[in-house]
Amino acid sequence: MGGYLLRRAGQALIVLFLVTVIVFVLLHLLPGGAAHAILGPRATPAQIATFNHENGYDLPLPVQYLHWLGQLLRGDLGYSYHLNQSVGSLIVSRLGKTIVLNLIALIISVAIAIPIGVTQAVRRNGIFDYAATGIGFVFYSTPSFFLGLLLVLWLSVNTGLFPAEAPQSNSIWEILAQPRAMVLPVLTLVLLQVSLFTRYMRSAVMDNLILDYVRTARAKGADENRVLYRHVLRNSLIPMVTILGLSLPILLGGSLVIEQVFNFPGMGLLFYQEAQVQDYPVLLGITLIVGVATVVGSLAADIGYAILDPRVRYV
Amino acid sequence: MTAAVAVTLAACSGGHSTSTQPQSQTSGKAVNGGTVNVAEAASVTPNWIFPFSPIANFSVANISDLQQLLYRPLYWFGGHNDQPTNDPGLSVARQPTYSTDGKTVTIKIKPWKWSNGEAVNAKDVVFWLNMSKAEAAQWAGTVPGAYPDNIKSYKATSADTVQLTMDKKYSSNWLLYNEFSQITPMPMAWDVTSASAAAGSGGCLTSVSKCPAVWKFLTAQSKDQSTYATSKIWGVVDGPWKLKSYNSDGHYSIVPNTAYSGSPKPKLDQVNFLPFTTDTAEFNVLKSGNQIDLGYVPPQDLPTKPAGSDLPKNNPAGSNYDLAAAYRWSINYFPINFNNPTVGPTFKQLYVRQALEQTLDQPVDVQKALRGYGLVNFGPVPAKPVNKWMSPAAKQGTPYPFDVNKAKQLLTSHGWTETNGVMTCTKPGSGSNQCGPDVKSGAKMEFNLDYASGTPSLDQEMQQYKSDASKAGIVLNVTSKPFDSVTGESVPCTASQKICKWEMGNWGGGWIYAPDYLPTGESLFATGAGSNSGSYSDAKMDKLINTTLTSSDMNAFYAFEDYTAQQLPVIFQANVYDVFATSTKVGGVNYNPLQTLVPEYWYRTK
Repeated sequence: MGGYLLRRAGQALIVLFLVTVIVFVLLHLLPGGAAHAILGPRATPAQIATFNHENGYDLPLPVQYLHWLGQLLRGDLGYSYHLNQSVGSLIVSRLGKTIVLNLIALIISVAIAIPIGVTQAVRRNGIFDYAATGIGFVFYSTPSFFLGLLLVLWLSVNTGLFPAEAPQSNSIWEILAQPRAMVLPVLTLVLLQVSLFTRYMRSAVMDNLILDYVRTARAKGADENRVLYRHVLRNSLIPMVTILGLSLPILLGGSLVIEQVFNFPGMGLLFYQEAQVQDYPVLLGITLIVGVATVVGSLAADIGYAILDPRVRYV
Repeated sequence: MTAAVAVTLAACSGGHSTSTQPQSQTSGKAVNGGTVNVAEAASVTPNWIFPFSPIANFSVANISDLQQLLYRPLYWFGGHNDQPTNDPGLSVARQPTYSTDGKTVTIKIKPWKWSNGEAVNAKDVVFWLNMSKAEAAQWAGTVPGAYPDNIKSYKATSADTVQLTMDKKYSSNWLLYNEFSQITPMPMAWDVTSASAAAGSGGCLTSVSKCPAVWKFLTAQSKDQSTYATSKIWGVVDGPWKLKSYNSDGHYSIVPNTAYSGSPKPKLDQVNFLPFTTDTAEFNVLKSGNQIDLGYVPPQDLPTKPAGSDLPKNNPAGSNYDLAAAYRWSINYFPINFNNPTVGPTFKQLYVRQALEQTLDQPVDVQKALRGYGLVNFGPVPAKPVNKWMSPAAKQGTPYPFDVNKAKQLLTSHGWTETNGVMTCTKPGSGSNQCGPDVKSGAKMEFNLDYASGTPSLDQEMQQYKSDASKAGIVLNVTSKPFDSVTGESVPCTASQKICKWEMGNWGGGWIYAPDYLPTGESLFATGAGSNSGSYSDAKMDKLINTTLTSSDMNAFYAFEDYTAQQLPVIFQANVYDVFATSTKVGGVNYNPLQTLVPEYWYRTK
């Protein structure tokens, strides 16, 4: 197990390094450049040259990368010249809110998806299975922005049941104190995620139901509920570990589309806003966070899987 | 920056204003107190409080929506009307007076107080002037050769009077609109190099050489957004409002400055500013409840405008809101690169520019692409709001209305022949019926036109332009690119430079005259001007522009204006206007073309 962990951690570090290199190069290849985006059409060539010089954008790309990496190793994510703040403080101020929104949605989604998926598998090819599959398919194939806008239209503009805007506070407690304002963004995320999780759950349960150990359990006289909940469910949850691990990037990075639709000032929105003005330090900071989350999430999923299913350790 | 100026302006009328603009309609009875929520423009939030901004922070959001609410400039433009003019009633200083030779200007400060009890006086103006001398490179309002270079000397001649000596006589209008308008008195509490230092200890008031340290400290303070609302420095205000709270995500609130010396005094208890990521998010919230009192209807949510009205027949914001049309003090155009080594010589021919303008169907663009919410634009002065700068000739309309046949005739009469759908120069030379100097035989009337992506109306306009131009034998290779790419490539250059390959660059936003409010052309069309993107150069134009800077005669201004419309240093295109939504429960609001906010006029009703 130790060797496995070390091997996976080493791979994760390499992936992370490559991610930063690729993102750094791609960002700096974007047309226009930060100077024009930040200074606007009124900037003179001299002002643009000064800006580029002050921010080191006139240096060769590898030098710029090494400079950024050096800062990073000192724990400095840089300074946003668009928002006039350190990138670290920006990320800290947004991260909590994004985690809260996505964690609530994730917990609710899993709680709903598991029983639906199990029921579908047990009653496969029945009315409930077809209905759940159909509804799930509709939600899964609906673009998130469209679903969000539909919910705003129905539940906010037309009926006035919930606010169209997510809570705007910086304090997590104040956000949690406005549950009505959280309903629409959470509901949108839940509707999208439940359909995905349900499919995985249904498949996993169905796969397990035909395995030998289930037949053995039944042969030993275990009733169906015991077979289902003590044996099948536990094993079927293993694939969910992978999905949950891979949800970590969204948990930390936010959902760009949902945050836009509901004006939720989280990480996704921050990325969207700063991408428009090519605010490189912020974009790199968020990319790094999401990159780390992706690597850590997939590592955690692998480890969790290895713990739950020892066969994986020897692959 | 221009593209970012979209939509949060709200200015007002009445009181001490010079305007006659009526206040917004509201049926309820005015009450004192209450809160008004204002929607900020999508993705644009104030982030710089120090009213001595570098260009990166020289935005309408910072200046109009934050700084000027707290710190009033010497001469305040906007006001309670729809005119782009100075509002003496809301300004800190009385109108300047001039010596007989016009070189010496005397500015008298009104007996206003800072919120800490100190007088707003001549020292505060000298402090600013010293700072702008010392840190001209850091101040976005600096114009080399003009402000502050053209101020030879200045001094406080009494506690409330400042005297400035200019290097020559200038137009009093130009000085007021483009130079003195940019001066903001700064309190002695800011003349420090640390937060705990005694007011005035920084020494910038008495010695220009000490200003850099003060500037460095104040700039660092302005970068520290977490302290905006609690700062001892920024808490000293002379405007009608002070900051109550500020969040770097764009949420901030202002409350009345009870020590405000001007008039009118604020009637509201508080004004909240709300950030939005997209205009869709803003419109959702506007429609769905009462969270926004002053908002806007995004262009894509406006139904087609009926003829004879500035507003839609049905109100998309709902019955809780009144709509208002707001014209920006801006012009819309796109530059052409006169120095491009290939097509530059062609662009230098006036008849070619005329043909390019005559194949751009602005009325159709207004009606179709802008769905009626726009106006034809053909010169350096915005046609709306109706203003005193419009020349008699300009009032007659565009000199080059859409006419493809005339455009074609212009080209064929100057030695161009249509070959395979493209006009080709077949008679090179400088004669009146030839292609013109430096235009080579075989040169084609084919240009690359890059325009900013992301705006459906601009997409539509450029496709329409391509189609109409082709009918005159002009081939436009239109390509949409990110806004920053277009602004990035559309820069002044010389033919030998690599960056000079661009031919036509349309970022879609043109130019807004703020905070250089006089629509003169020294920034845009003078030879070598920083924002003369196409490197246009014409001796007569330079002379006419210079005259507008030195003569207050309106005829001099009209001469520049008419010559610009006739010469086409850029291709003018249709300009859009905004539609704002004001809660029916809020009064005293109107919308100013300079996008300045005057919430002291606003009130709630019951």
